[in-house]
Amino acid sequence: MASTQLTSVTPPEPSALTTLIANSAPSDPLSAATIQILHNLQHQHLWTSVQVHDIKIPNLNASSPPAGSVATSPEDQSATPFLISGIPPHRVYTHPDEQLYLLERGLREEDVELERMFVLSAIKNQPWSLRKMAAVFDSLPDEAEIQAAEVSMNGGEELGEGGSKEKAAQLAEYYEYRKRARLTKEWGGKRLLLAMVDRGMGGDGTVVYYVVQEGAVKPRQN
Amino acid sequence: MTIEPTLPIPISYIEGNYYVFSIDAVTYLRREYHICGVLIGTLPQIPQQNVFLGLPLELMPEEARLLVEKGVACIVDEVKVQKQGMKALMEEDRKKYLRELESQGLQAMRLQTSRKEQQREKTLKKLEEKKVKAAKSKKLPEDPEPEPEPAAADGPKDDPSLELFADHQLSSNSQTTSRRTSTTINPENAMGITPATAHPPLPAEPAAEQLLPTPQVPSSYPLFAHLHAEGYFLSPGLRFGCQYLAYPGDPLRFHSHFLVVSAEWDEELDLMEIIAGGRLGTGVKKGFLIGGAEKKEGSADKENVRTFSIEWAGM
Repeated sequence: MASTQLTSVTPPEPSALTTLIANSAPSDPLSAATIQILHNLQHQHLWTSVQVHDIKIPNLNASSPPAGSVATSPEDQSATPFLISGIPPHRVYTHPDEQLYLLERGLREEDVELERMFVLSAIKNQPWSLRKMAAVFDSLPDEAEIQAAEVSMNGGEELGEGGSKEKAAQLAEYYEYRKRARLTKEWGGKRLLLAMVDRGMGGDGTVVYYVVQEGAVKPRQN
Repeated sequence: MTIEPTLPIPISYIEGNYYVFSIDAVTYLRREYHICGVLIGTLPQIPQQNVFLGLPLELMPEEARLLVEKGVACIVDEVKVQKQGMKALMEEDRKKYLRELESQGLQAMRLQTSRKEQQREKTLKKLEEKKVKAAKSKKLPEDPEPEPEPAAADGPKDDPSLELFADHQLSSNSQTTSRRTSTTINPENAMGITPATAHPPLPAEPAAEQLLPTPQVPSSYPLFAHLHAEGYFLSPGLRFGCQYLAYPGDPLRFHSHFLVVSAEWDEELDLMEIIAGGRLGTGVKKGFLIGGAEKKEGSADKENVRTFSIEWAGM
């Protein structure tokens, strides 16, 4: 009886995540982690239109040989960081001054259009340095580029705006102000989410997310 | 009231540490240059005191360096200053200074004795008044009608008391005068004076050979200078396990905004440190700020400092 049972037991179906990782082409740890984080964003945090960007960091590779023939250079190349971008179901980060601005005009965070956010994937014990971090931030699109894209997109947007006219006007004013604030970095500069997973011992599939911003941006009043 | 100390402010270098001993300089540096330092002076009676400390002010090497670079302060080898200053004192000056101290002591002694006298007189007067009152109350029961004729009763009563006062005053006067003469006669009775500053005998401005070069600073100095230039007040960060705490204004008025950690441009960072710092910072309503001087092959000019602030995303 026991023996028949043993033979009849089939190994459990691999999890959706495992199959997803197995089915995607490259299998180095970082790309696997990136897929894991993407999966987590999509299914746990309900982000939409998530996609992976393979960022090119010429700065990093070009400068590593003269920085002192350290043995980490081949590792650096294999660990080219990956960026994920997607649209969160609600705002992830609001600068304290921006929050004040919204409050003063009676706007709520839900009224504001959701924006695409960048997520940087990382694994525990992955070597990092300020140079890498700076390179990742430099590879993010510039404010001018973003605004150019927005202008092309916003053509028909204004008409579709429902709700009261007052609110629409307030929102328009807010968007206008936000454009300027972005250029002056009044509400913070470039920002991304740093997502980290532990793929070694004790990695329980947890993904932690931290907001990383360029420059000294005052903290939120949590 | 704003007191402007003479620039450059001497920063005393003693045993590897930097101190400021003048309260005017301390307030000036804090007000004009956002340099707070740490007050470390305790009361002699309470050596274990660790709050509400006073002068001297200890400066971080970074703070001292920044002030020197701004031309506000100079580093002075305090041991040299003391030794050379004392040696350079002429015999005449020395004697004069000692005489001055002695006369100060005598003055203090005189003040003390006169205060004692005054107190004595006060208590004597009080005693006298009590006596008079007692005498009055003794008289009162004898008198069936004290109010109809107060003038008549007052006259004889006052006279003896007046005499008494006069007598006392005379005697006390004679005593004080005798004591005064005694103190002026023997100056050994003078109080010992501990001078609070070394600058009346020593020259106020240090000589050129007593000056030291700019202080050695840790590699975090570019980040320190960068944040200071942005208007932050920086203080040591031991309390939060970081290098500096960055306050957006005077620490007496504001909570700090950042836990600051500096790193070399190519220094390997443990991501766990970033996570731990970010989580601790968010837990205490601060941001975790990591930064360092950028190294670029092309531009060897003014070093550019890049900073990143990190907060928990809450998801």
